[in-house]
Amino acid sequence: MAAMKFIGKIWPRLYIAIAIVFFVAPLLSMARFAFQRIPMISLGKDNLFKRWTIDGLLTTLRDPEFSHSLSVSLKVAFFTVLVLLFLMVPTTLWVHLSAPRWRGVVETVTILPYVVPPIALVVGVSGTYRSIAPWFLASNYSLVPFYAILAMPFTFRSLDVGIKALDLRTLVDAAKSLGASSSRVMWNVLLPNLRTSLINAAFLTFTVVLGEFTIASLLLKRTLPMYMAEAQGSEPQGALGLGLLILVLTTILFTLVSIIRKKDSTSINVKNINVGMVP
Amino acid sequence: MSALEFVNVSKSFRDVNALSNFTIALEQGELVSLLGPSGCGKTTALRIAAGFETADTGAILLGSTNIISLPAHQRRMGMVFQSYSLFPNLNIRDNVAFGLKVRGVPGDARKKRAEEMLDLVRLSDLGHRMPHQISGGQQQRVALARALATEPHVLLLDEPLSALDAKIRVEVRDEIRRLNRDLGVTTMFVTHDQDEAMSISDRICVMNNGVIEQTGSPRDIYNNPATSFVAHFVGSINSLPMGSTRVLIRPENLVLATHDESAHWRGTITDTTFVGAFTKISVVLDNDNSSVSVLAISAQIDRNIEIGKSIGINEATR
Repeated sequence: MAAMKFIGKIWPRLYIAIAIVFFVAPLLSMARFAFQRIPMISLGKDNLFKRWTIDGLLTTLRDPEFSHSLSVSLKVAFFTVLVLLFLMVPTTLWVHLSAPRWRGVVETVTILPYVVPPIALVVGVSGTYRSIAPWFLASNYSLVPFYAILAMPFTFRSLDVGIKALDLRTLVDAAKSLGASSSRVMWNVLLPNLRTSLINAAFLTFTVVLGEFTIASLLLKRTLPMYMAEAQGSEPQGALGLGLLILVLTTILFTLVSIIRKKDSTSINVKNINVGMVP
Repeated sequence: MSALEFVNVSKSFRDVNALSNFTIALEQGELVSLLGPSGCGKTTALRIAAGFETADTGAILLGSTNIISLPAHQRRMGMVFQSYSLFPNLNIRDNVAFGLKVRGVPGDARKKRAEEMLDLVRLSDLGHRMPHQISGGQQQRVALARALATEPHVLLLDEPLSALDAKIRVEVRDEIRRLNRDLGVTTMFVTHDQDEAMSISDRICVMNNGVIEQTGSPRDIYNNPATSFVAHFVGSINSLPMGSTRVLIRPENLVLATHDESAHWRGTITDTTFVGAFTKISVVLDNDNSSVSVLAISAQIDRNIEIGKSIGINEATR
């Protein structure tokens, strides 16, 4: 009996330990490979604390090809976020306020990128552009429409969830009865209350764009993932170091977003949304 | 001239007539309830007045101006909804000041007015709180203050008490009545709750299937219902045989016959429910098996009123 109890207690801990090993071991291996000046074959437990250096990473960071590809990726990500929000915010609001019957259709359209593989997308779309506007495919910004389609599910879902949590119809009606025009309703009521959703959508879109490889490779664009794939051959330590750096930065960014989200969720509480709740 | 008048307003959704030739005039300062079961068209009427729905035909007169084609934000109607509808991103004071802000009232005047309004609903110390930090009843009072801050032509209330629990409901109800009297603001109140309508209204407009069944004072509606629907919907009523027809009599207008009295109707007691000052006695009539309830003053009830006993019923003499 006591043994059973002991096993019952130890199980959850064991699970957590396994999970930690599962996630941390590759990261640690990555870090050792990237930041220890020791041939991979002789990496062992006795030289764990020896000859750590960030020279490899610095070499990569100093590479003009790196800064170029980073700036391409950031610019493309920025414009993708703009295009997506510009398209999806009015669409999602319209679906919720005026045409709830169309919600299913819009939702289906937004999940198409899950169904259509990127290769089919690129072949189809680039074929069209090549015949009508070949100059567009030459520009790095030709990635924007592709990435907008890829990130559409995240943007729609994020906005959809945010809107569902609000009693949107009533808030809009209340604002209108108080004298607010449609544009005022948009700026003073809808956007402030959808702030968390907008940040979430932008963040998810950003990460999709910064990690996308297939389309960039097919269209021969020098984005960050393309650079990293190439650098793995010429400067493997630096490329892995860079990968690790991006992981850390993304984690920090994600933590910041969830802090904002937490702050917002204290100001937008389910209590004042639900009809029929007693005080 | 009326403060607000509906003239032959009709509205249908697909093939359902939500409102047919709806005509009613509200006098300045009057509180009129639209009372009826769900789907009777009362909320549609209110939303048409607010400008959230467009009428198919008819006119809405504000004074002598027809506002039927005016967009909602230009109508100056104060509206309070069933769900509390405070803007979650603004604190209480800014919620109250919202209507003034969009009308371009400068900051200081806005703040002063918002404080005044919060004072009016006795929540002046909660101005800095966020909506989720106050109770439902308080939120609804803030919603009232917000709707009244812009001095609307008419206050439109769409089931504002339905989301509140019983005790708070009475408090907010009394608050609405007080504000209506003190400020003299014409008020249209939509509800499906007859007690609510009875206790708050100058006049009640009972609706069913998109048409008005009767409009009158609460007393009038209760004592002289114009249609069988009104008689059954407002209060409870018994249908008793009298000769070849049937008569409708309220439970409190029936009395139990004493032993030596001759009784108009005879029946068997099936249930007695003690509700404090009154006791409800359910009887099944001997000659046609219809159920009748009699509301008697508890203190006057004979001790041997028991289930299964035969009893005589008479109409109370007024």
